[in-house]
Amino acid sequence: MIKLQNVTKTYKRGADDEVIALADVTVDVAKGEFVFVVGPSGSGKSTFMKLLTREQLPDDGEIYVAGKNLATLRPWKVPVLRREIGYVFQDFKLLANKTVYENVAFALEVIGRPRREIEKRVPEVLDLVGLTDKANAHPHELSGGQQQRVSVARAFVNNPRILLCDEPTGNLDPSTSVGVMKLLDRINRTGATVVMATHDQHIVDSMRRRVIELESGHVVRDQSRGVYGYGG
Amino acid sequence: MTARWTYVIREAFIGLRRNLMMTVAVILSVTVSLTLLGASLLLSEQVDLATDDWTGRVEVSIYLCDDRVCPAITSEQQEQLREDLEAQEVVAEVFYESKQDAFERFTSMFADQESLIEAIDQDTLPASFRVRLENPNLFNVIADQFSTYPGVEEIVDQREVLNQFLRFTNVVRTAALVVAAIQLVAAGVLIANTIRVAAFARREQTGIMRLVGASNWYIRLPFVLEGVLAGLIGALVSWGLLWATVPQVAGGLAQDIELMPFIGEAQVLAVGPWLLLAGTGIAAVSSILALRRFLDI
Ligand SMILES: Nc1ncnc2c1ncn2[C@@H]1O[C@H](COP(=O)(O)OP(=O)(O)OP(=O)(O)O)[C@@H](O)[C@H]1O
Ligand SMILES: [Mg+2]
Repeated sequence: MIKLQNVTKTYKRGADDEVIALADVTVDVAKGEFVFVVGPSGSGKSTFMKLLTREQLPDDGEIYVAGKNLATLRPWKVPVLRREIGYVFQDFKLLANKTVYENVAFALEVIGRPRREIEKRVPEVLDLVGLTDKANAHPHELSGGQQQRVSVARAFVNNPRILLCDEPTGNLDPSTSVGVMKLLDRINRTGATVVMATHDQHIVDSMRRRVIELESGHVVRDQSRGVYGYGG
Repeated sequence: MTARWTYVIREAFIGLRRNLMMTVAVILSVTVSLTLLGASLLLSEQVDLATDDWTGRVEVSIYLCDDRVCPAITSEQQEQLREDLEAQEVVAEVFYESKQDAFERFTSMFADQESLIEAIDQDTLPASFRVRLENPNLFNVIADQFSTYPGVEEIVDQREVLNQFLRFTNVVRTAALVVAAIQLVAAGVLIANTIRVAAFARREQTGIMRLVGASNWYIRLPFVLEGVLAGLIGALVSWGLLWATVPQVAGGLAQDIELMPFIGEAQVLAVGPWLLLAGTGIAAVSSILALRRFLDI
C-alpha cells in the first residue's frame, strides 16, 4: 500500500545550508497495517507523512502510494491520490465558522460528491466517532478530544484506503487520547491502512503495533509489535 | 443545481461580502476604466459615422469666378466645364450649387448664429460644382485638369477639411484609449491584489481542500468567480452610465449641428458586449494570474 525505496529528502535553508530530513529511507507498509512512526523532534516524521501526500517531493528514491508512483504522477492527478488518503493533524485544523456536520460534509462537498451521498455518509461517520449529538455545534464548543474526533471523521468520511495521522494525540491529555486511539483502531479494523506519527510513549507501548523509529532522518528501527523505545 | 456548483457560487459571494471595501474599490475602478473605454469606442463610432456621411456627400468643390477675384464665368464656359467634368471617368457625380443654394446651406448650418448670417448676403458665397469621385484619393486628377479652366477660381479637396477634423478626433480618441488602457491595467492589478487577499484570508480552508483532494480548478474557481463578478458589475455600471449619458449628449448636439449624423442608443447598446467582455476578461485573467503561485499543489 505504501512503499518507500531509498528515499532522501533535504530542505534548503539559505544559500548552501541544507537540512537532511530523511536519509535513504526504505519502508514497506502492507494493506491494512497499523504503523507508528516515532522519533525525537526534528527526526523527520512529518516529512515522511508529507511525502506520502505529495505535498513534498523527494530528492532521491521512489515512493509508491496506493499503487501510484508519485514521481511520475501528473500534477492534475494529485487530487485523485489525496482522495485515497485521510489526513489528521495535531492541531485538528477544523474550520471555525462551520459546524461539526459542515466540517465533515465539506470534505465530500469539495470533491464533488452528490448531495444524497453526503447526507447519508456524514451521519454515519459522526456516529462512528460518537459525535452524533454534537453535529450542530461549532468547534470552539467542543473539547480537544471531541475536536480531534471530528477531524478523524473528516479524514475518514470519504472511505480512504490510507489514514495518515501526524501526532493526533499531541494536544490531548492521556485519557482523551485513549478515546481517539480506540477510534483509529476501529478504523484500522475496517481495512484502512493507518500510519501515525507520535511522541506518545504510553500509546505506542499499549497498542503493540509495528514501530518505525527515525533518528536524524534515518530509520534506526523497524519492529513489528514494538514499543516506543528500547529502554521503554 | 449540484452541490459542487452551490459551493462555488456561495463561496464567491461570501468572498465579495467579506471584503466589501475592496469589492467596492474594484467595481469603481473597473467602472471608471470601462466607461473611458466605452466612451472612446463610441467616439470612434461617431467619427466613422460622420466621416462616412461626409465623404459620401462631397469630396471636391470647384468654386466659380464671380468678378471679385477673376472675371465671372460665362454660361458657355460653365457648360463646357460641366460637360468635361461629366466626361472625366474618375468623376462619379456632379452637382451645381448656385449662390442662392450656397447661401441657404450656410444659413441653415449656422441657423443659431445670427451674427454670422448677418455678415453675408446672397451674393457673398461663390457658386460651385460639387464633385463626388469614384475614388476620393484621385483629387489630384481633378485639380491638375481643371484648375486652369477659365472661370474656375479655386478647387478645394473637402477631405482636407475633414482630415483636419479627423486628426483632432484621432488625438482625442487615442488619448482616451491610452488612459482607458492604463486604468484597465490598474483595475487588473487591484483585482489581482484583492483576490490574493481573499485567497490568503481563506488559506486554512483551501489548505484543507487541497488535502482532501479537491481539484485545482475547484479550489480556484470561487476566487476567479469572485473577481469576474466584480468585473461584471463594474462593466454593467459603466454600460449603464454610458446609456444614461451618451444618447442625451449626442441628441443635444444633433439639435445644434443638423448636418452631421450622430450616434444614439443603438451604438451604446452595441458597445455593451465589448465592455462586458473586457470587464470579465481582465478580471478573469488577473484573478488566475494572482492565484497561479499562491494556490499551487
Ligand atoms: N519546510 C521546511 N523547510 C525547511 N526545513 C524543514 C521544513 N520542514 C521540516 N524541516 C526540517 O526538517 C527536519 C525534519 O522535520 P520534521 O518536521 O519532519 O520533523 P518531525 O519529526 O515531524 O518533528 P516534530 O516531532 O517536532 O514534529 C527538521 O530539522 C526541520 O527543521
Ligand atoms: Mg512533526
